[in-house]
Amino acid sequence: MNALYLAFAYLRYHWARSLILTLVAALILFVPVATQILLSTSERSLLARGDATPLLLGSRGSQLDLTMAALYFSDEKPDPVTMEAVESVWDSGLGIPIPVHTAFASSGFRIVGTTLDYFDFRNLQIAYGRGLSVLGDAVIGADVAATLGKGVGDTLVSSPENLFDLDGVYPLEMPIVGVLAATNTPDDQAIFVDIKTAWVIQGIGHGHEDVVTVAEIAAGSEAVANAAVVQYQRITPENIDTFHFHGSQDDFPTSAVIVVPNDTRAATILKGRYLDGENPVQLIEPAGVIQGLVDRIFRIKSLLDAVTTIIAIAAFAAIGLAVFLSYRLRAREIATAVKLGARKGMVLRLLSAETITLLSISIIIAAIGASLVAQNAESWVGWLLSLGA
Amino acid sequence: MTFAVRLLSTLVIAISATFAHAQDKPRVVTANYPLQYMAERLLDDAADVVFPVPEGVDPSFWRPSIEDISAIQSSDLILLNGAGFSTWVDRVSLPRAKTVNTSAGLEDQFIVTESITHSHGDGGEHSHEGLAAYLWLDPTLAIAQAESVAEAITARGLAVDIDVGTQLSALRTDLEALDALAETSMVNLEDTAIIATHPRYQYLARRYDLSITSLEWEAGAMPTEADWTALADLVAQTGAQVLFWEAAPPAEAMDTAADMGLENVVFPTLAHAEGGRDFLESYSEAISAIAGLQLR
Amino acid sequence: MVRLENLKFGYSGTGFRLRFPEFTLDEDERVAIVGPSGSGKTTLLNLIAGILSPESGLIDVDGVNVAELSDAERRRFRASTIGFVFQDFALLDYLSARQNILYPYRITPALKLDAAARDRAEALAVACGIGDKLDRHPTALSQGEQQRVAICRALVTQPKLILSDEATGNLDPASKERILDLLFAQAAEAGAAVLAVTHDHELLPRFERVLDFAQFHEGVG
Repeated sequence: MNALYLAFAYLRYHWARSLILTLVAALILFVPVATQILLSTSERSLLARGDATPLLLGSRGSQLDLTMAALYFSDEKPDPVTMEAVESVWDSGLGIPIPVHTAFASSGFRIVGTTLDYFDFRNLQIAYGRGLSVLGDAVIGADVAATLGKGVGDTLVSSPENLFDLDGVYPLEMPIVGVLAATNTPDDQAIFVDIKTAWVIQGIGHGHEDVVTVAEIAAGSEAVANAAVVQYQRITPENIDTFHFHGSQDDFPTSAVIVVPNDTRAATILKGRYLDGENPVQLIEPAGVIQGLVDRIFRIKSLLDAVTTIIAIAAFAAIGLAVFLSYRLRAREIATAVKLGARKGMVLRLLSAETITLLSISIIIAAIGASLVAQNAESWVGWLLSLGA
Repeated sequence: MTFAVRLLSTLVIAISATFAHAQDKPRVVTANYPLQYMAERLLDDAADVVFPVPEGVDPSFWRPSIEDISAIQSSDLILLNGAGFSTWVDRVSLPRAKTVNTSAGLEDQFIVTESITHSHGDGGEHSHEGLAAYLWLDPTLAIAQAESVAEAITARGLAVDIDVGTQLSALRTDLEALDALAETSMVNLEDTAIIATHPRYQYLARRYDLSITSLEWEAGAMPTEADWTALADLVAQTGAQVLFWEAAPPAEAMDTAADMGLENVVFPTLAHAEGGRDFLESYSEAISAIAGLQLR
Repeated sequence: MVRLENLKFGYSGTGFRLRFPEFTLDEDERVAIVGPSGSGKTTLLNLIAGILSPESGLIDVDGVNVAELSDAERRRFRASTIGFVFQDFALLDYLSARQNILYPYRITPALKLDAAARDRAEALAVACGIGDKLDRHPTALSQGEQQRVAICRALVTQPKLILSDEATGNLDPASKERILDLLFAQAAEAGAAVLAVTHDHELLPRFERVLDFAQFHEGVG
C-alpha cells in the first residue's frame, strides 16, 4: 500500500504528465477496440438488413445500386420498373411484392413511396401520430424528426427534382401524420409516403391543384418553408376528390420491389423466372450483394488493423521511453531512499506501482469508452451507414 | 399432477382458447353490399364482414374519415369491386397484401362508358375513360366475383371450421338459379325500350340483351320539372315503355311516369342493401316485377 | 555509540584508500569531521551507515557489528538506528513537508507508521518552526525551511545516531547557526549522538570534538 500511496502522490503531483500518458495509452487501447466494435456492428447491421430483405426486384443494372437504393435509401437512382412487375409477383401467388419508390427527397431525406405492407414487413411502429391514411400523408423516421425538429402536424415539401422542369410539376407539400419509433436502420432516415403520393409528386397523379403561388407568398399569406421552393401544391380536403391518376397503374414506376417469398421453394421458382439476361427486370438476393460489400470493407479493415498495430507499437515505445526518462529523473530520489534504509526492491515496487496505476486508469478509460461505443454502436452505425449512402 | 390441478389447467386453457377465439375473429371489409353478401355467405360466422359506407351515401363517391381508414387498414381482408367503383381507393393507403380486387380477372369483360374530358389548372385538356362498375347486376359476373372472394378467403386462411368450397357451391347454385330466372323473365322485355333513372344497368343490359337509355336522376328523390322534360324527350326519342327506378321514389313520381305511359319497375342497383332484403331477395323481386309487366 | 577499529576500505578501480585505526563516539557526543575534499569523510559516513562494506576492521554501532550484517539486516538497521541529513536536503518535490518527514515510514517495513509517529512528526515540525507549513511542497519552502524538514525527517524515526553530511553547506551564515542549533537541540532531546561532516570552520567550536581527516587518507582521490 505504501508503494501505491507514493505512486499516487507522484502521479497527482505531476498530473499533466500523468494525464497525457494516461490519455495516450487509453486512446491506443480504445481505438482498435472501438473500431472492432463499430465494424462488427456495421457488419451485423448491414447483413441484418440484407438478410431481412429476401429478394429484390429491379431493373437490370448495378445490383449494388439497386440494393443501396431500396434497402438504404441512398442517392442512387436505379432505372425504375413498372408496377406490372409488382402485379406479376402478385399473380404468381409466390410472395408479397412491396414497391419502393425512392426517386424523390425532401430536406435532405429520401421520400420512400411504398405500400402499407412495408410497415408490417419491417415491423415499423408508430411512436407518435398515426400511419399513412390519405393521399399526401407522410410518416417520418425517428432521425428525420430529430434532425428537422418536425413532428405530427408539421409539413414537408418535396424537393424540386429539376429546377427547369418544363412539365410544370410543382413540389408537393405533405402533412406529417406520424413519427416512427427508432429502429437504428435506414428506416429512421426516411420519409414514408404512399406510393400513390410519390406518383403525385412525379406528376402522374394530380388534382385541380391548390397551388401556393409566388403572389401568395409575397403577400405574406404563406410562409416559405424552403427558399428554393416558390410554388408547391398541396392536397386539401377540398381538392382531394379531384386527385386522379392517368393511365393504367400497371405502367406506373417504382424504383425497386422488395419481394417476400412465401417459402424457399417459392423463392427458387421466382428467381428462376428472372434468370433470363434479356429480361429487363432482375431479381436479386440483397444478402449476397451486401456480403460482397462487407467482404470489401473487411479487406480495408485488415489494412486498418495493420496500421493500428504499428501505431500502437510506436506509441507504447514512446510511452516506455517517457516512463524510462522519468525513472532516470528520479535517480536522486532512489539514492535517498537507499540511504534512508528503503527495503530491497522498494524502488522497483514504487516504479511498477506507478506504471500499473497509469495503465489501470488507461484501461478503465478505454473500457468506459468501449462500452459507450458498444451501447451506442447500433445507432451510430445506423447514422454512419446512412451517411455513407 | 393432482386431478384438481389438471382440471384447473384444462379450464384455463379452455377459457383462454374461447377468449382468444372471440378476440381473433377475422374482420373483412367490403367496398359494396354485394361483396358483403358474398363474403357473408362464404364465411358464415367465421368472420365479421363489414360494409362501412353509411346508408344514403353512394359507395362510389364515399370519402372515408381517418377513423374509417384506420378500421379498414386494420381489417384482415379488404374486398374491392374494381372497375373504378370506389374512387376513394385512389386516395387512401391500403395494405396491398390484404386487399383483393374481385374483378381483377374480368377486365376483358368491362364495359367502357363514354370519355369524360376535363382540364385543370393551366394544364391542357385530358380525358378519362369511364368504366361501368355495377358488375354484379350480371349474375354470371357476380359468380366470378364470388369465386375471387372465395379464393382470397382460402388463401388467407380466414375460414376456420368452414369449407369455403361447399359454401361457394351453394352460392353459385343460387346465383345460377337467379340468372336462369332472370333469363326467362327478361324475355318479357325483348324488343322493349327501357329508360333508367341512372346509368347503372350496363352489365344487366348486356347479359339479357336489354336496350336501356339512362337519365341522371337523383336516387329516391322527387324528380324536378327539368327531369320530367328530359324524360318526356327521351320517351319520344326511344318509344320507351318501361322506367327502371334505382330506388323507390315518392308515389306521385311513379304516378306521373305511369301517366306518361311508362311501366314503373324499381330495380335496386344493390350497391347498398335495400329494405332489409338480401341480395338474392331484392334481385328476385325486381325480376318478378318485370315478369309481371303487361306490355303493349 | 560508535566504535571503529582498524578499518580499511578502497574503491576498486581507483587509487582511493582509507585507513582508520581507531575512533569512538559516545552517546550524546557531537563530533565534527573536517578534511579536504576527497579525503573520505562521506565514505566514512556511508561505512558507518552500512551503505558501504569495509575490506576489514570493526564497525560497531550501538553494539551491532554492521559489517557482519546481511544486506536486508543493514537496511533495517539503517532505517531504525540512523538519521541522515544531507547537504542538498534530498526532499521529494511530489510530497508535502509532512509526507517528506514521514517518508522513511513509507519505504521500509522496519518502521510502523502509527499515530505516535504522526504526532512526533507534528511536534518536530513545530519545534523546528515549520508547524504551519506542513502541507506545502518543498518548492514552496525556503532553503532553510527545506533543511528543517530534512532534520525532522532524520529525527522522526528516533535514531540513536545522526549522520550529517554538510547539512549547513548550502545555507547562509545566519541560517547555518540556527540549523545547527536546531539539530543539536533536537538530537539532545532525542538522546542521539551527532557525527557531522562540515567545511564550516567557524562552526567547529560548537562541537565537542573535531576529527581531522587529512591523516587517514592515502593516495589520490
